[in-house]
Amino acid sequence: MTAAISVSGLTRHYRGHRALDDVTIDIDGPSITGLLGRNGAGKTTLLRMIAAQELPSRGRVLVFGANPLENDAILRRLVLIREDQTFPDFKVRHALKAASWFYPNWDGDVAATMAGEFDLPPDRAVKKLSRGMRSALSIVIGLAARAEITLFDEPYAGLDAVARQLFYDRLLAEYAEHPRTILLSTHLVDEAAALLERVVMVDRGRVVLDAPTDELRGAYTEVSGPVAAVAQLLADRPDRPGQDRRRVAAHESVVIAGPLGGAELQRARDLHLRVEPLSLQQVLIHAAGRSDDESSDSGRSDSGRSEGEHSQSERSERASA
Amino acid sequence: MVPTAWGVAVLDGGTPLFTQIAERLADEIADGSLAEGERVPSSNEMAAFYRINPATAAKGLNVLIDDGLLEKRRGIGMFVVAGARERLLADRRRDFAERFVQPLVAEAQRLGIDAESLVELVRETSGVQGGVSL
Amino acid sequence: MTNWSTIVNVGRYHLTQRPVYLTVPWALTVFSLLINLIVSTAVPTSIHTAGLATLYVWMFVGGLMATHRSLPFGLALGLSRRSYYLGTAGLAVALSAADAVALTALYALEGATGGWGVDLHFFRISYLLDGPWYLTWLTSFVGLGLLFVYGMWFGIVYRRWNVTGLAVFIAGQATLLLAGVLAASWADAWEAIGDFLTDLSAAGLTGVLAVAAAALFVGGFTTMRRATV
Repeated sequence: MTAAISVSGLTRHYRGHRALDDVTIDIDGPSITGLLGRNGAGKTTLLRMIAAQELPSRGRVLVFGANPLENDAILRRLVLIREDQTFPDFKVRHALKAASWFYPNWDGDVAATMAGEFDLPPDRAVKKLSRGMRSALSIVIGLAARAEITLFDEPYAGLDAVARQLFYDRLLAEYAEHPRTILLSTHLVDEAAALLERVVMVDRGRVVLDAPTDELRGAYTEVSGPVAAVAQLLADRPDRPGQDRRRVAAHESVVIAGPLGGAELQRARDLHLRVEPLSLQQVLIHAAGRSDDESSDSGRSDSGRSEGEHSQSERSERASA
Repeated sequence: MVPTAWGVAVLDGGTPLFTQIAERLADEIADGSLAEGERVPSSNEMAAFYRINPATAAKGLNVLIDDGLLEKRRGIGMFVVAGARERLLADRRRDFAERFVQPLVAEAQRLGIDAESLVELVRETSGVQGGVSL
Repeated sequence: MTNWSTIVNVGRYHLTQRPVYLTVPWALTVFSLLINLIVSTAVPTSIHTAGLATLYVWMFVGGLMATHRSLPFGLALGLSRRSYYLGTAGLAVALSAADAVALTALYALEGATGGWGVDLHFFRISYLLDGPWYLTWLTSFVGLGLLFVYGMWFGIVYRRWNVTGLAVFIAGQATLLLAGVLAASWADAWEAIGDFLTDLSAAGLTGVLAVAAAALFVGGFTTMRRATV
């Protein structure tokens, strides 16, 4: 079967920097895949190229086996409302109406129900919507389009916890009813983790990790306890952990690759060590080789500070394109 | 896999979700709240309830099918097979020492509680809870 | 492939912004007409005004908005650039045709009422719009369409290369115009050009404008093919 999305050697450079660098991934559907990475890592650029909104410098994108560029038959099977989507002078209901004209599987009832659940005011101008409301509008269009390929770009920017919960519930309900290929870019890793069966992580334009979520849980284990005991446990391990060591007084915490085997686990217990698998978010940080200052608290950085930077760099990217 | 307590209230971050789903269902079969012959929730129902990917839920169910605890009836759903509870309980009794007694003894040693006192403690506790007499 | 229903839907998409394409241009045109009527009642002689230019300028603005402001959401809704462009050009044709009908009617009314009773020439422009009604319609249609398509090209240039691109685009056209003027002077061709224009009737001029509109359409399309949002 042809992959729903097949990207190979995809590269996009703008004046001065590489937004995407030799990216190769295949995504089969139906599935829910997370596209993870820090702001400016290249997630949006990748999504834009899959949707043929941006043109590759090198490499190719195939959607259902065909180049989506200028291909109406393919493009109408795909939806991408970007985080920084600009709209014409539309009211909310105009945007929904317009979407209904172009998506063959559009479900008006779903759109109306969801718009109500998210408290989207139909007569409010889109440009007057708050950030969260705009995210909600993108979510409603993205799900009601029932497109075979549904791309979400930071779908919950500005949404509060209640609205995010609503998004997860709606996404799962829609997905159960009409399975499709969903690619979701986000930095709220742990929150979305349970929804994702696979994660693709992008960093500085490159894919640094691409694996089923299940394999990643337990891909790293944190062992902590008295320094001597930790050293004893790790003595015969071939992979000496490097910088992922933290120490306070006589207590040490070390992150090692993989889960502990049965015998090792027993030894760890005998040594009274704490053994804990890393959460997905932490696994990704380690996978990206970023165990520096951000490792302790990575979720934080993304929401506030880099948002502005991101859209700014995006704008200048487009200017130089 | 790191052993998790049976019947944890929330899905935790580290263990594969499908394993946790399988364990939860197994717990329910073991304590009888999911009776033999009863239909178990579909993967979509489980997905909606736990807010997880349906494929993950399906994988969890498959673990129990492979273990012979559930059976698929085409077009109707999945059901708890007859004798599933008894088999589960037998398995768990077999693993009881490794999963519960060993950590208990290890912790007791660390605290300097000798075997005698430990047995006494266990006896007292089960007496209080009105449980098994040792 | 782009099919007809897509073209129609792109037109509807644009017309959702009714103020840009209908309300504002006509409101301004009517306003301009009223001002001129007031002036005309105060002045005994017949008045010729270029107030109708308002409508033409708004056609240009509409074209520009259609390919600049409205493009990203259009492409987000799964349209190809080609479909979007053809649909937008379809709107140019439909809107110009409809507006031209209205202009022709007003032209006829102005003639019948002796310039709204005060000998005002608002819709009747000497040389350009003073022939039979069908020619008035045709010239208006081509003129309006030309400006819309011209605006579309500006919008795409603006989207692809921002202000810098726009400046280069305008400078390029100015250079081309200047080159033409200089060439005409060197070749001592001004007299011949004057004769040509005198001989060229409004119908002939409409033909020239139609060719220009077609050229702009092709130019815009070429620019559109690699536009990104």
